[in-house]
Amino acid sequence: MTFRLTCPVCGARDVYEFRYGGQERGPRPEQAQLSSDEHFRWTQFRMTRPEPQEEWWYHTGGCGVWFTTWRNPATNREEPPHEVERG
Amino acid sequence: MKRLSPSVSSIDHSHTKFGRLWKTRPLKRHYDVVIIGGGIHGLATAYYLAKEHSIKDIAVLESQYIGFGGSGRNTAHVRANQRTQQNVKLYDEGLRLWPILTDELDFNLMFFNCGNLSLAHSEAAVSGFRLAINTATFSGVKSELLDPQQCKEVIPALDISDRPAHPIQAGMYHPPGGTIRHDALVWGLAKGADKHGASIHQGVEVQGIDVDGPRVTGVQTSHGPISCNKLAVMAGGYGASICTMLDIELPIHPLTIQAMVTQPLKPLLNCVLSSGAYHVYANQTLKGEIATGAHMDPQVNYTTDVTAHYFKHQAEALTDFMPCLEGVRFLRIWAGLADMTPDMAPILDGNVMFDGLYIDLGWGYFGFKSGPITGKYMAEFIAREEAPEILAPFALSRFLENRYMGETATTMKYGHWD
Repeated sequence: MTFRLTCPVCGARDVYEFRYGGQERGPRPEQAQLSSDEHFRWTQFRMTRPEPQEEWWYHTGGCGVWFTTWRNPATNREEPPHEVERG
Repeated sequence: MKRLSPSVSSIDHSHTKFGRLWKTRPLKRHYDVVIIGGGIHGLATAYYLAKEHSIKDIAVLESQYIGFGGSGRNTAHVRANQRTQQNVKLYDEGLRLWPILTDELDFNLMFFNCGNLSLAHSEAAVSGFRLAINTATFSGVKSELLDPQQCKEVIPALDISDRPAHPIQAGMYHPPGGTIRHDALVWGLAKGADKHGASIHQGVEVQGIDVDGPRVTGVQTSHGPISCNKLAVMAGGYGASICTMLDIELPIHPLTIQAMVTQPLKPLLNCVLSSGAYHVYANQTLKGEIATGAHMDPQVNYTTDVTAHYFKHQAEALTDFMPCLEGVRFLRIWAGLADMTPDMAPILDGNVMFDGLYIDLGWGYFGFKSGPITGKYMAEFIAREEAPEILAPFALSRFLENRYMGETATTMKYGHWD
């Protein structure tokens, strides 16, 4: 089934109104100190756990705002972050 | 998701002509090789390990039932007209394996060598076809450029006029391709793997992976711990999720891809048809249905959600260049996972992140056509602990060394991950 995302301006809207912008991963690393290995890891490597992740979306079919929300790839629905401890 | 019980039906078929294709063996606490994923890649690897490398102590662990994932959800199109030589070499050998496997497994895989016709709707796509055709020709694979009139001779239902939104400018015709019955392939490989001594465990979910220093030592499952000497992750789109159990990052985006079938029609589509610009690939099944697949939803996820969006998209796209399909009803829709990599080529590697860990992932939507041939070479990789030459270009390290495979230079820009 399709699902809805919550735009901070327009409220809950059909997911096909939005463009997916990928996981939120903090600021882009400083280019000057970046090794090629780190560069490729940052640009291409991802960890997609089956649990809520923070990600970027663009409301292309609506107000045109970029925003972040938490969504769970295991269920495809918005879901607040889990409290997980990892060693 | 509801888990299936691994229990076996009490009906005994062993005395009948049509006995069970594979046995249910007791789950042991240790195996030489544990394979995660009971799809065609896992089953083929088990089959070739047992048959050609005399490694019989193998468990294939499948969390649902064999063929539950991508192996049973694809549109079963097979072809070898990719862009890069390394890919074409593997897919071509895979294509030539179907008749051999049908014989070896003593199981009718229903290989229908009907050919593939891909359509180009722009100058850029025509150039992409020229590149792919040159690669194919150089590699000894039959593939040729057709003009619109020749496309219509292959499929008379095509509208080659200027009326469609994206008029047909050329076709890439690849006679060696076709379709296969995907369930038959799953069952045949399970039968073959079992016959040579591998054991298949359905309803056994891997929940964790054990490591000892640099080495994987086993898995935690819904049915208790199982130790092993070698572990192979061959879980298709779910593989990236399994790798997160070891905190392994991969250049993989797992995306949902949808497919659907229409009501049965009289024969009108006598080969596999695809169009990059319209995001359509279609064939007519032996029952007469038009089976057609779509583009992917862009957000990473592990669901098999289907949406009305793609019914509408497929209906609009198909009827634009095959107007005779107007009014035909869709009967059924389903979805599977495609684990996309930045260069549209898979990641086949072993002993890099952890000793004893092998991965066969990142096939995107090419995992079906490559299944048995990859299983054959991954079995060699696992048995000899050294990558066979044909698999060497698919090492994970290529992404860190800027040696992308260039498969994206085919017909279009695929999406944000490329």
